[in-house]
Amino acid sequence: MSDTVHTRRDFLKNAAATAGAGALYLASPEDLAPQAGVKSRVVLIRNRGLLDAAGSPRKEVMRQMLDEAVASLMNEKDPLKAWQRLFKPSDAVGIKTNEWNYLRTPLELETAIRARIMDAGVRTSNIGITDRDVRGDDVFGRTTALVNVRPMRTHHWAGVGSLIKNYIVFSRLPFTYHGDSCADLAKIWEFPEVKGKTRLNILVMFTPLFHGTGPHHFNRKYVWSYQGLLVGTDPVAVDSTGVRILLAKRREFFREERPLNPPPKHVFLADTRHHLGTADPNKIDLVRLGWKEGSLI
Amino acid sequence: MTQKNPEASRLAPAESNGWKAAAEDRLFQGRQLYEYIDGGAELYISYGFKYLFSRTYTRPGQPGITLDLFDMGRSQDAFGVFSQSREKIERDAGQGSEYAAGQMIFWKDRYYISIMGQGETVELKKAVFEMAGKISNDIPGEGPLPTIIERLPGKDLVPESVRYFHHYVWLNSHYYIADRNILRINKKTDAILAKYGRGMKRTVLLVVEYADEKEMELARADFMKHFLPDAAGRRAVRIEDGTWTACGSRGRHLAVVFSATAEAKALRLIDDALMDRK
Repeated sequence: MSDTVHTRRDFLKNAAATAGAGALYLASPEDLAPQAGVKSRVVLIRNRGLLDAAGSPRKEVMRQMLDEAVASLMNEKDPLKAWQRLFKPSDAVGIKTNEWNYLRTPLELETAIRARIMDAGVRTSNIGITDRDVRGDDVFGRTTALVNVRPMRTHHWAGVGSLIKNYIVFSRLPFTYHGDSCADLAKIWEFPEVKGKTRLNILVMFTPLFHGTGPHHFNRKYVWSYQGLLVGTDPVAVDSTGVRILLAKRREFFREERPLNPPPKHVFLADTRHHLGTADPNKIDLVRLGWKEGSLI
Repeated sequence: MTQKNPEASRLAPAESNGWKAAAEDRLFQGRQLYEYIDGGAELYISYGFKYLFSRTYTRPGQPGITLDLFDMGRSQDAFGVFSQSREKIERDAGQGSEYAAGQMIFWKDRYYISIMGQGETVELKKAVFEMAGKISNDIPGEGPLPTIIERLPGKDLVPESVRYFHHYVWLNSHYYIADRNILRINKKTDAILAKYGRGMKRTVLLVVEYADEKEMELARADFMKHFLPDAAGRRAVRIEDGTWTACGSRGRHLAVVFSATAEAKALRLIDDALMDRK
């Protein structure tokens, strides 16, 4: 890390060159490193009929959303072909979920992902799903492919609970990544058990948490029925898009500019410092499917 | 984990509106807090957290309730933690409270308390308010606020925006300054941040009280070097977004105004914050 101090003013100077990026880059005053190659594709799919009156996902609607999003991501008309391009029968697939008590990855979604991976030809015994036990799980010990799936939420110390952060439990000492608001979480993606294995990143936007209060950083007042999924192969691009939606919701709710606290700098440093993917909206090909009203992006 | 008889356990009622204590009480001290709060322990530790007493309550056919009583050691720090997420000014319990969707958060003396329903029903809300009232009454006295609060000018102040802290991460949380601690905020400093005015863009005032004048001067020099290198002797500078940033100091106190719409407004806030209060 350099000894240079990056201030809010540095960000403002850079923002002039990235019009519209606004509050997004406030958290990350480093210059955005140019990313070679094509834009990162992120698919946002929403369905206003996803959640029932009790707030649970309707399985069939959710399954269709997942299929449509994956097909669009892979540029395939037939969803099964898209899944088959992502996973081979010889793969051992770890589905890294998130079991946070107040807003967990819906079990129905875990089941749907597992079913589609099986449809692609992967044996049940070669599919593992876990959150905290990635270091002890049999399948995770021999994965050739990973699926990263978790809900989007604000977070006490990291700014957001992101796809990038979801891999923190691959570390034996997760707390060692808490420094500087979890700035360098992307380093974990260099671990041999992780590097290059993530085929699919799914940010669950069914009921995102846009603000936290109290010791558990959760209050139902600050979730809303967005009824969406963000899907991509670039975790930084998906997280960055999720952050933009949370920021827009906060602006709408609080009626003032209200950056995330603390700033989700790990998302942007994953781009500028660790080159894991792109956080720059100008370099993200955002495909919007389904319900558009209130998409906030 | 269970430990016997911490002072906070005596404040936790056995029952409230039909909700009864269930399971084992738990006590977390120091860094044990990481075991209880996923990713959130740092907030409390940065405020000098002593221990947390936690009790759960159940009532058949109703959502559960979790009571968390934090002993922060000093009333100023209990207020500081409370101030971090305050969105409105209420006083239904203790020295300041906030209720939303089944959750009551309040502070009194050195205690910061959260009563969290796993849902919200009419009966649960009644139980939460009853429990908060009882705990509040059983904490014998009120504790002082941080004295630095008195430095905040009252005119146009947004009261619910006041944040008190002594870790620089919390400054960046509410108003991003820099990726380094250029204002030298640490355990020995008291810092207060507040917004002024209404609307999408508000003026922000930061006042920091240092251990001594020398420390203040070092912080001021760092801030001017990194944030206002173009000040050239001026107290206020119009920065890249068209707003004014101003900086002033007096004795052990440093005041900085950000995002002011006019130079005069920025300087007036600085002068009011640094005014002699003797």
